[in-house]
Amino acid sequence: MIQAILDAVSLGGVYALAALGLGLVFGVMRLVNFAHAELITVASYTLVMTHQFPLVVSIVLSVVAASLMALLMELLAYRRLRGSNPATMLIVSFGVSVLLQKVYELVFGALPRSASVATGLTGAFTVGGVSITIASVVTIVLAVVILLAMGYLIERTKLGLQLRAAASDFQTARLLGVRSNRLIASAFVISGALAAVVAFVNVVGNPQVDPRFGLDITILALVGIVVGGMNSLRGSALGGFIVGAVLSLLNVILGNGRVYAYSWMFVIVIVILLVRPGGILSKFATKERV
Amino acid sequence: MTTRLRLQELLGPILIVIAFSYVVGLQSAQGLLIVQSTLALFVMVLALHVFVGNSGVLSFGHGAFAMFGAFASGIVTTPSNIKENSLQLQNLYPFLVNLNLGMYPSLLLAIAAGALVAGLSGLLLMRLNGLAAGIATFALLGVAYNIFFYNNRIGPGSQALLALPPFQFLEEPVVLTVIVMLAVYLFGISRAGRTLRATREDPLAAPALGISITRVRWIAFTLSGAIAGLGGAMFAHVAGTVQVQDYYLPYTFMTLSMLIIGGSASLWGATVGTLLVTGIGQILLMMEQQKPILGIVVHIPNGTRAIVIALSLVVMLLWRSEGVTQGREFKIGMPKLRK
Amino acid sequence: MTLFEVRDLRAGYGKVDVLFGVSLTASKGELIGIVGPNGAGKSTLFGAIVGTVGLRGGSVFLDGEDISGKRPEDIVRRGLSLVPEGRQIFSGLSVIENLTLGLTGRRDKHGEKGALERVHDLFPVLTTHRDHQAGMLSGGQQQQLAIARALVADPRVLLLDEPSLGLSPTVVKDVFDRLIAIAESGTAVVIVEQRAHLVTRLAERTHVLRAGKLQATLTKEDAADEAKLTAAYFGNSGE
Repeated sequence: MIQAILDAVSLGGVYALAALGLGLVFGVMRLVNFAHAELITVASYTLVMTHQFPLVVSIVLSVVAASLMALLMELLAYRRLRGSNPATMLIVSFGVSVLLQKVYELVFGALPRSASVATGLTGAFTVGGVSITIASVVTIVLAVVILLAMGYLIERTKLGLQLRAAASDFQTARLLGVRSNRLIASAFVISGALAAVVAFVNVVGNPQVDPRFGLDITILALVGIVVGGMNSLRGSALGGFIVGAVLSLLNVILGNGRVYAYSWMFVIVIVILLVRPGGILSKFATKERV
Repeated sequence: MTTRLRLQELLGPILIVIAFSYVVGLQSAQGLLIVQSTLALFVMVLALHVFVGNSGVLSFGHGAFAMFGAFASGIVTTPSNIKENSLQLQNLYPFLVNLNLGMYPSLLLAIAAGALVAGLSGLLLMRLNGLAAGIATFALLGVAYNIFFYNNRIGPGSQALLALPPFQFLEEPVVLTVIVMLAVYLFGISRAGRTLRATREDPLAAPALGISITRVRWIAFTLSGAIAGLGGAMFAHVAGTVQVQDYYLPYTFMTLSMLIIGGSASLWGATVGTLLVTGIGQILLMMEQQKPILGIVVHIPNGTRAIVIALSLVVMLLWRSEGVTQGREFKIGMPKLRK
Repeated sequence: MTLFEVRDLRAGYGKVDVLFGVSLTASKGELIGIVGPNGAGKSTLFGAIVGTVGLRGGSVFLDGEDISGKRPEDIVRRGLSLVPEGRQIFSGLSVIENLTLGLTGRRDKHGEKGALERVHDLFPVLTTHRDHQAGMLSGGQQQQLAIARALVADPRVLLLDEPSLGLSPTVVKDVFDRLIAIAESGTAVVIVEQRAHLVTRLAERTHVLRAGKLQATLTKEDAADEAKLTAAYFGNSGE
């Protein structure tokens, strides 16, 4: 029971991080970056391919790889689309996603690459007769620390202020001197770093990395930002958390029916959206952005 | 906007599709297969065009309607004795085991299934704003995949349904495709179609004119669901098998790419995109298999084809977001397609 | 000495041309008005100057440097700030956060504190509401915030697009008094107004913009002459 709750919170935390990465980029350029999946995947490959290095080095490299990949996407593809219709940008990012999957397939092969990363986290310990996995606790701690750090970054720093301003009105932010290229690049780098954190947690839990490794979590996180409200970062993170936590709980509650957890979760998502079509944290319901 | 029926906009693409079908389809058995599967994909592209092209809202969920269409048509056309004896169909509902329909009634069933699923899910999805709706359609695809993958009461689960009757003649898919093109065109010039395109141009003006975006989007979504159901079923009857994976993300990506590379806003764009992507794909496939093209053998590594198609989608969108046709309809004397 | 010069500016959107060769100048400490009917191209002119609307021709000089075609964020750093139409304050952010964003466009980062203090002297009400959400301020206070947010960047030229919009007459007078004070402190101030009488009496020169061209230029003395003003504004006399 306690383990189930811990699992729900930890999975929710991971999805919140993924959704936050998506939300940051959406905020500054109205781009729903489907290829966020491939940021998670590249970070995961990095972790697996460098597993013989000290863990810290391996983690740093994976953050660098995902951030670089995010910057490259921005530079080579998304930069030319600024101000385009969000639907066009979404489909481009879908194309970028498939393209990178195929590239990964060519480079790493279609079969999973695997290596045990951070083996120290795979065990369990007992508190008051209840067995608890180390991974779930570490994940929760990691997610909380990073969410707090992100909260600080967004609410208390100049960069965060610029990100918030740009999310509500980019044009005016530029008129005040906010450097658009630098700000958008920062958002991509941060989203890459967040993807690397998500990758780390996932690789520890399941070190079988294939070209589609980041896909499922990204689709769910995307649904999360819709549930939470696309126009606010808190909404994005909250939506991601809900999707992750609900999915985890459903896996326990449904027992043998857990193969349908995915479907049931979407039923819950649909109910939430019926009540609040603009997402949980939206103020204006459905009318704000058609 | 004119309601006048401009015949060349309809007949041009139809004649080109027919010409392609016969020129390639009569070459060889392989050519026939290429034509049939291209037409099945084309019907799916047309389904996407009806909704995405007219409304400007993306859908990643049409694979779900195609799945329903394919499984509905597939399960009723698989002979009863095969259903009784197949290992993967042991848990099938008894009434499905005993139900047997011919190919054409089964296609009608597929259309109904696609329309029903689209109509019901559209009631919710079309209430969301455009971008959120586009993302939520991913969820739709995910649910359909999840259900068909695990539920062996209604189908083979993750296994394949194997013994579907294939199309007998080239004419069958050709006629079906032409009928769909006609329907798509008529919807485009109908009141609902024109209204929907008006909402795409200016979503904020529509409510001011008393137009319910939700309603016209829902109509288009349901119609395109029906066509997607047919497209999925046709795809099944070309291959003779149905497997849930065949209708998931790669299928979605392939058909969306065709639509967008051609230009989502016009019937002509859907046609050009489908033929262009098919052509490029075939050439690259021959290169991967080291077959001679015009007497020359060019060898490229396996997997290059998929990269090239994904890359051309991205480049096309960066270069011309309206696709090759820039959303224009077919017109005699139109400037040659720029390569 | 000319601090700011617009020379033969042309601009438009898509296939539509809006401005057909607009020229004007402003010196240090001058207050210049631009008036004209709806759709004359006033906002397009400002957009073209600050880099949010594409130029089709002509140049903009700031202190002798050609800034035409530069990006908005680079133009503000050179000392030209725009208070956009409809104020465009960040209503979800606090007053101080709005002002802090304004500091982004400063050339020297040392004077930040001083700039904020000066603004608080000029607009004491903003100090009172320092930590309140900007969206909760009244219309007049929001306009003050928009001006203050531009001022903290220490602009040499300040452009204001319809600063009187949606404000009551007493508040308008209050706002314009501050603008005069700002001009007197050495900033060149250029104001676009649809309501001509608000600026003609204050401005050194008032240009009448109609159909994308400057049709007439009025001095303070001309402005007192109601007939001349009306004629220039509506264009039913020679130039």
